[in-house]
Amino acid sequence: MMQSIFAIQKSGIGVPAVPMEEVVIAADLSWAGLILLLPLISLVLCGVCAAMRVKSKAPAMITAAALAGSFVTSVALYLNYVPPGDVIPLLDWMNLSWGESRFDAFSANFALYIDSLSLLWIMFVTGLGTLITIYASEYMEPDLGKGYARFFAGVSVFLFAMGCLVLSDNLLMLYLGWEGVGFASYWLIGYYYQRPSAVAAAKKAFIVNRIGDLGLALAVYLIWVTFGTVQYDELMSVLQANDWRPEFEGWSVTAIPFLLMLAAFGKSAQLPLYVWLPDAMEGPTPVSALIHAATMVTAGIYLVARTYPLFLMEPVSLQVVAWVGGLTALLAATIGMAQFDIKRIMAYSTVSQLGYMFLGLGVLTTYGAAYHVFTHAFFKAVLFLTCGAIMHGFAGQLDLRKLSGLRHMKGWRITAWTMLIGCLCLAGFPFTSGYFSKDAILAEAFVTQGPGFEILGWIAIVTAGLTAYYTFRVWFRVCAGPVAFEPGDELHDGDAHHGEFHPHAPRFAINGVLLVIAIGALLAAVPYFLDNQADEHLAGGWIADMVHDSTAREGLPAGHGDVDGAHHATILGMDPHAAMYYISGVVGLIGLSFAAWLHLWRRSDADALSRWMRQRIWIGWLPRAMERKWYVDEIYHGVVRAPLWILGHMCHAFDRFIIDGLLVDGTARLPRTLARWLQPLQSGVVQSIALAMAGGVAIILLAMALFMQFDWPGGAH
Amino acid sequence: MTVGMLAMAGGVSLAHALLLAGALFSIGIAGFLSRRNLIVMFLCTELMFQAVIIVMAAFGHWYWDFSGQVFIIFILTIAAAEAALALALVVLLHRRRATLDASAWRELRE
Amino acid sequence: MFALLLLVIPILTAVAVLFVPERTIRTCAFLGSLVAAGVAILAAISFGGWGNGGWGLEYSTPLLPLYGIHLSLGVDSVALLLVLLTAGLMPLAILGSWSGIQHRIREYYTWLLVLSAAMTGVFLARDLLVFYVCFEFTLVPMYFLIAIYGSSNRAWASLKFFIYTFLGSLLALAGLLYVAWAAASHLGEWTFSIPALSDFASAGLTSTEQTWILAALLAGFAVKIPLFPVHTWLPLAHTEAPTAGSVILAGVLLKLGTYGIYRFVLPMVPAAVVEWAPFLAVLAIIGILYAALICWVQTDVKKLVAYSSVSHLGFCVLGLLALNPLGMQGSVLYMINHGLSTGALFFLIGMMYERYHTRDMGQIGGLARVMPVWSFFMVFFVLASVGLPGLNGFVSEFLCLMGTFAAGSTGAYPGLLGPWFAAVAALGMIFAAMYLLIMVGKVVFGPVREPANERGPLPADLNLREIIVLVPLAVGCVYLGVQPDVAMHAMEGAIRDTLAIYPDLAGSVHDMLASTGAEP
Repeated sequence: MMQSIFAIQKSGIGVPAVPMEEVVIAADLSWAGLILLLPLISLVLCGVCAAMRVKSKAPAMITAAALAGSFVTSVALYLNYVPPGDVIPLLDWMNLSWGESRFDAFSANFALYIDSLSLLWIMFVTGLGTLITIYASEYMEPDLGKGYARFFAGVSVFLFAMGCLVLSDNLLMLYLGWEGVGFASYWLIGYYYQRPSAVAAAKKAFIVNRIGDLGLALAVYLIWVTFGTVQYDELMSVLQANDWRPEFEGWSVTAIPFLLMLAAFGKSAQLPLYVWLPDAMEGPTPVSALIHAATMVTAGIYLVARTYPLFLMEPVSLQVVAWVGGLTALLAATIGMAQFDIKRIMAYSTVSQLGYMFLGLGVLTTYGAAYHVFTHAFFKAVLFLTCGAIMHGFAGQLDLRKLSGLRHMKGWRITAWTMLIGCLCLAGFPFTSGYFSKDAILAEAFVTQGPGFEILGWIAIVTAGLTAYYTFRVWFRVCAGPVAFEPGDELHDGDAHHGEFHPHAPRFAINGVLLVIAIGALLAAVPYFLDNQADEHLAGGWIADMVHDSTAREGLPAGHGDVDGAHHATILGMDPHAAMYYISGVVGLIGLSFAAWLHLWRRSDADALSRWMRQRIWIGWLPRAMERKWYVDEIYHGVVRAPLWILGHMCHAFDRFIIDGLLVDGTARLPRTLARWLQPLQSGVVQSIALAMAGGVAIILLAMALFMQFDWPGGAH
Repeated sequence: MTVGMLAMAGGVSLAHALLLAGALFSIGIAGFLSRRNLIVMFLCTELMFQAVIIVMAAFGHWYWDFSGQVFIIFILTIAAAEAALALALVVLLHRRRATLDASAWRELRE
Repeated sequence: MFALLLLVIPILTAVAVLFVPERTIRTCAFLGSLVAAGVAILAAISFGGWGNGGWGLEYSTPLLPLYGIHLSLGVDSVALLLVLLTAGLMPLAILGSWSGIQHRIREYYTWLLVLSAAMTGVFLARDLLVFYVCFEFTLVPMYFLIAIYGSSNRAWASLKFFIYTFLGSLLALAGLLYVAWAAASHLGEWTFSIPALSDFASAGLTSTEQTWILAALLAGFAVKIPLFPVHTWLPLAHTEAPTAGSVILAGVLLKLGTYGIYRFVLPMVPAAVVEWAPFLAVLAIIGILYAALICWVQTDVKKLVAYSSVSHLGFCVLGLLALNPLGMQGSVLYMINHGLSTGALFFLIGMMYERYHTRDMGQIGGLARVMPVWSFFMVFFVLASVGLPGLNGFVSEFLCLMGTFAAGSTGAYPGLLGPWFAAVAALGMIFAAMYLLIMVGKVVFGPVREPANERGPLPADLNLREIIVLVPLAVGCVYLGVQPDVAMHAMEGAIRDTLAIYPDLAGSVHDMLASTGAEP
């Protein structure tokens, strides 16, 4: 049976543009398995290090080497693969078969699905993974010999799981990666396991993600029941055979995208499931940078892009995706404006940027979404890593009110300037990478027809302004202005000399990685200008190529979206893409200047403004609600957690007192209770026993005399 | 019916015998229930035995069947043996508690 | 012959344990159980029915031929898998109670070995009465294990366990005897052969009779599983039982119930099953969610895991009731997986209890700092239990739910089960993550909290013996998580045979879909 499955797989991925018989079977690519194998090996070695209580930096070296190996393998794979790609079987997992039909078999194996989309993702995942591991080798120094190996084992698990997620050839292996990254995230958020808040945050992340996973599991079931397969290539050929049209009847075609959406929103922290991400900042900062900013949280985007044809079959689903993304972007940006913890600000900005990406998916620009994922991975990694450097140097200090003028301090210049690069990209400053990727999404919101998409576009533009504001609020507060600082509460040995706190500036590993990734963030604009290979009408260069060669493109209505000639809508009488360059540039600059006014030029004005707002009843609720994150956590607690908790106690009481106490023990006690009633009769006095006996006999005799016919001797019959 | 039986028989009839037995049995049971003295209670049980014996004799005569009389012999023998045993037990109990009151022995109570 | 050996070796060892010198009791019991495990493996190797169904390892000798009663043994692949589970858990249980049990050792190991024989007998039986005798006889050793070696409330727990399950299985006996009687009056001679009775009952009984028999059988098996609402003996028995008792209880004894459903209910009363499957599935789902919610508010770690068994076994029942190969293979796999992961959890809790003499989450915390190895295993098995993909729990849970999900779209029996059943039951996955992670968060992570109790003589972290107990289970979890195919192919044929009397259900999904033109 296995042979038949792989016969299908070997014949290549069923992509409509290339008929089956023309598929060139690529050279043997089975070495691609190294991408997954290397992190696994480093996991084992880190485990050995932990067991042997190794006190050196060996775990970091091992992990960095393994991830670098994975990265090199990914790049080699990119250079060697033949579009549209191939399936590389690795290991059997589940193969059930009980008949001839597709619906009488269920098969999901460990196999790699190599196409441009998965290659795009795996390259930046492993690349950033390697860099951040190097960064972490210095960052985690205080934990040498304690949790050091455990940390890098977690990173290895994450990279393995993320690789499974991205490279899987079927939805079940994707599910494995999906839960695997969730678990790695649990592991690493809860790294400081003695801190209750970290444990709670880890738990919250896992559980909220589980809600999304439930959606994914149900989606897998439904896809299998509807299409008879969970493998992408088979799925795509089934859909292709049906002309990508929603002709599969019934509710399942509608339900599938919504279930997938639930999964994507859980993993990518969108409304209503975003609450775990800000809390996840309890983890060490490299983790926040790698998992909760650059890579794992983009898995939702990847999932939607990967199963895009299923979304296209139910247009409403993409409209929902767009609206949820847009609203999340706005909401998270408003919360980000009012926070003081720089890492949390970055977390909310991640939520907000992920919202943009979903907006992009919703308005049919998969390439815009993927491009934003790509650029965001770099600049957000830089931002988090600089935050981490600050946290590392100032003993855990993250409050932007207690740090200032970093760029004037010795040893902190690289941190300050790389952070500026990250901030510029995030704010969408003209001609940075973020500027191009965001514009691709914003413009498309005005191009694509949909319910209120134009409003959505304006929401996104306003959000861009807010983003610029809160981003530079951080930079102007922390890096600019006069030098001033207070240490945090996580003092390590050697932080304080003679009772006075000295921040320790980052050293070679951190600075080097910051520089590399910051340059990467700037260079991320380059792919936009690279030529398309496939179709010169496509905008977006290399990234568009990578996306459009994959399943993310399939089934997209011809001539839509990213194709330049298809633009009908205009903004201010201009082509939306052209107009957006100006609009978003201007909006970004406005946000930036507000930030400069309130947080650099006259910081006292910010406090005054805040005080003024808080004292006004008509507006006072706004800053308070923003600071309290719109009370979403409280709402969840009140609406979901507390009722369930009460229900749990009610069930427990019901179980103890009704089912067990009343029904079970009650039944068991019935004979004994009965005996208790009759017990007084057993007084032990012979007379009373005799009386009872005599009485009983008398009653029986009386009854016989009254109710029975006797043949009385000699009597009348 | 009892009146009928008396009218039909004439002289000492079955009914007379049964009435006598009933009276004896009632006296026995009343005594058994009302007295606390173990020996009196025992005597009362003997009275009830006698009532039963009379019934057997009467029916044996009525049916002209001697098995009734045979059983009387049996019962009398066993009653005699029982009396010996019971009186021995009573003596034993008296030795233990120095009383003949039946209510002193209530270990059978729950 | 293997079958007889599997039955006899534990009994012989039990007898030997009665007579060997005091110092060698543990070794003797351990070696005996190891031999039994070895024989089980040999039996599995020699078994010819892997994958293609049918019975194997048959052995039969007449006991009361006049009434058709034979000591008839034999296994199909599902039963053999469970025999392997039993035989595999037994040495670990003995090793795991090495230091925990300090008084009346001789009796302890005797009862443990007798229990092992009885459980093996249940899975080996091909004769109804052999099955029933073994099924009931598991109660006796377990009763003593709880009543003598349990915690403070052990008397009540053991009594309740015994009477509750005994009452249920008496009703099951009535149902089974009715089947035998009906078969005898129909065939003209007595037979207690399980296959023969199944063949007769599935075709020869009216649907009313089937419904009553279903009720009677479930009275026995549902209590054993335990299905909501007849589950309340389980948490009590688990909390009071000694560690090995809990392991065996969760690992094997509960599976007697699901195995009973697989072996008797499904083949004997198909009409009634089809009629009542939705109702039973609803009970299973209520059990999943209800027990999970209860887990959430537990403070006793062991009780939490006990209630989680109720929740997990709900998935197992659901898979069986899906009446398709997906669900059933998932369900049988679930039996084994649950035995491994929950068994291991009970071991771990026992190891913790031996050190701290408390299981109260309010008193202990942050053990990761004190017992890193223990904590590693704890988190590992909790994740296996939660159903993290790559570990064993995931595959079976996934397949059970998938089978349930697919069972609605067959259209053969409208409304049998379906997406809604699966969707609601799947909430149990979220709840499982909640209560188990809350437990881990309290016990393993957080600031260190240790009770003031005197610590036992054991080292702070696990010793080599305890690690040896846990490693095979962990290896099993990983292996079955990565290569579930091995087990699933093994049981394929047996499950096909069982489902053969439900022809309208199996594999008819595509008939309906073929009409929509979805075929490529």
